[in-house]
Amino acid sequence: MLEVTGLTKTYGSLLAVDDLSFKLEQGEFATLLGPSGCGKSTTLHAIAGLREATAGTVYLRGEDVTDVPTNERNIGFVFQHSALFPHMTAKENITYGLKMQEFTGRDHDEQAEHFLEMVELGDHGDHKPTELSGGQQRRLSLARALAYEPDILLLDEPLTGLDRVLRETMRNEIKKIQREVDVTTLHVTHDQAEALSMSDRVIVMNDGQKEQEGPAKELYRNPQTEFVAEFVGKSTKFTGTAASPSAGGDGDGQVVAANATAVNVGDLQIHAAAAGGAADERLSLYVRPEEIDVHETPGGGDAVNSFSATVNHIEYLGHRNEIEATLEDGTNVTAYGDAAVDVEIGDEVTIQFDPEDVIVL
Amino acid sequence: MRTVKISDSFLPSSVRKRVTPRTLVGIGVLWLTLCFIVPIVFLLYESLNFGEGHLLANYEQALAWTYINVLGRTFVYALVTTILTLILGYLTAYYIAFKSSRPMVLLALVLLPLWVAIIIRFFGVRLFFLQSGPVQQLFGTDFGILFSRNGVVLGLISALLPFAVLPMYNSLRAIDDDLINASRTLGAGQFQTLRSVILPLSFSGIVAATLFVFILAAGSYLAPSIMGGPANNMMANIIADTQSYSIPLASAMAVVFTGLLLILVGLFNHFANVSEVLGDL
Repeated sequence: MLEVTGLTKTYGSLLAVDDLSFKLEQGEFATLLGPSGCGKSTTLHAIAGLREATAGTVYLRGEDVTDVPTNERNIGFVFQHSALFPHMTAKENITYGLKMQEFTGRDHDEQAEHFLEMVELGDHGDHKPTELSGGQQRRLSLARALAYEPDILLLDEPLTGLDRVLRETMRNEIKKIQREVDVTTLHVTHDQAEALSMSDRVIVMNDGQKEQEGPAKELYRNPQTEFVAEFVGKSTKFTGTAASPSAGGDGDGQVVAANATAVNVGDLQIHAAAAGGAADERLSLYVRPEEIDVHETPGGGDAVNSFSATVNHIEYLGHRNEIEATLEDGTNVTAYGDAAVDVEIGDEVTIQFDPEDVIVL
Repeated sequence: MRTVKISDSFLPSSVRKRVTPRTLVGIGVLWLTLCFIVPIVFLLYESLNFGEGHLLANYEQALAWTYINVLGRTFVYALVTTILTLILGYLTAYYIAFKSSRPMVLLALVLLPLWVAIIIRFFGVRLFFLQSGPVQQLFGTDFGILFSRNGVVLGLISALLPFAVLPMYNSLRAIDDDLINASRTLGAGQFQTLRSVILPLSFSGIVAATLFVFILAAGSYLAPSIMGGPANNMMANIIADTQSYSIPLASAMAVVFTGLLLILVGLFNHFANVSEVLGDL
């Protein structure tokens, strides 16, 4: 449905998008995820034709649309701050698009009503955008972009500026409507929670380049780069050098399996089930907070990857606690503790995690 | 009562305490009273006839056919000037707001003529079209500009263009780029976007520009006296001439002229909702 090849955009000497290529299948919901300034928004604007690409090609429905003006691309675009026409009513905002796109599928009035109903604004057709709440404005903006049945829906951080609770409800609503209309969607956000919860596939971008793409689960469980590991989800990072297996095991007296890795991080040695690099190679290890167990008994333990630590911060999240503890070498570890685990700031605890759960990069 | 905070080092505290919003408003009210309201009261008084004959005798004279003729001409010139200045000004403002890469420079160029006295600019325009000027040298004709209706309107347009560009540029620049982008993604071409989005959203600037240009053009004295001939006199010229021999008659003419102008602005207000626009300024 959508294919982007070799997309490049420079602003003077600044390289905003660097040879980016990706593809979207019919009906797919994909997200471009990355920090601000990574080029994701520029990419979206180039696909819409609102910004001219320096190099590269954009295909829609298999056609090269790189030089087709925006108004002839048949796209739906939801802008960061809705961009509703203030001088038109909610309904007129929708019929404007129907008229401009010369929509013939149905009577314009009926189609507008139908989409107003779909975004639960059936009673607000006569209201001006300023008379709508923030959430209603976003929904109207979505309805306006979808009413003329575009081939692709482009969402440019559509939830910016809404409060957290509203963002979470809106996420579900957008996803629901997207599925109902079955429109191919490319969504841009810097919010990883938004990306993970809404998308079939996430494309992580950094510095104008694609870091990794895949389903949310895949990105979270198997990040391919340090950037992805750090940007997607929380984790504790250890950096150290690979211990040489042939040196006769390690300090804990554990035997290191052939394709497993032991890494010296300061005075500690961490074991990972995944294969790492050659001896003395610098490695980064990541452990997700839900994989780290916190035991109230201090002093570490004999088990693998079991260390003593001092609790320095606890965040009570209701169903669980987010515990931050400092290891002897000063590394801060973030763990999700069961609500039953009863620790306080300053307590000596033992933290422990399975070598299977250590991500080696 | 709340006192206005004036820069601490600027005035001693004893003075500062006595400077209230009322004081500040008072200065303005006093100024308006002395320089605007009192003269108008005098004008009204002067226009009435307390001697022999009818109380409104001066008005009867002021509404004589010749003067009505000038009055009509004044408003026609003002109207034509307003329409042409608005079109030219809108195009200029549109270009500066959306197409130019250095809007501030262009805006400065638009404002630059205001640094030169109007009379000098009119003489400049006139020199341009004189027998020995470049236009006649090149084309052998002044295109009916000199000492004519066209000259007056051309002079007025050149003098009043900045007053049209500024408010319209402001209202155009205030339009969020994403609204224009939205219109494009919704399938509208440039012209459609101009008509359905940009024009309505810059309406307040157009209304403000209309008022500025029309009022200033209608009251113009220099343009007809320098650019026009005797047949192109406007109301201000006639009033000034009359004033040299009959202040009562000139006063009555001034009252009639101002009254009509107010009625026209009132009508315009009725249709374009000026109060809403001026509130936005």
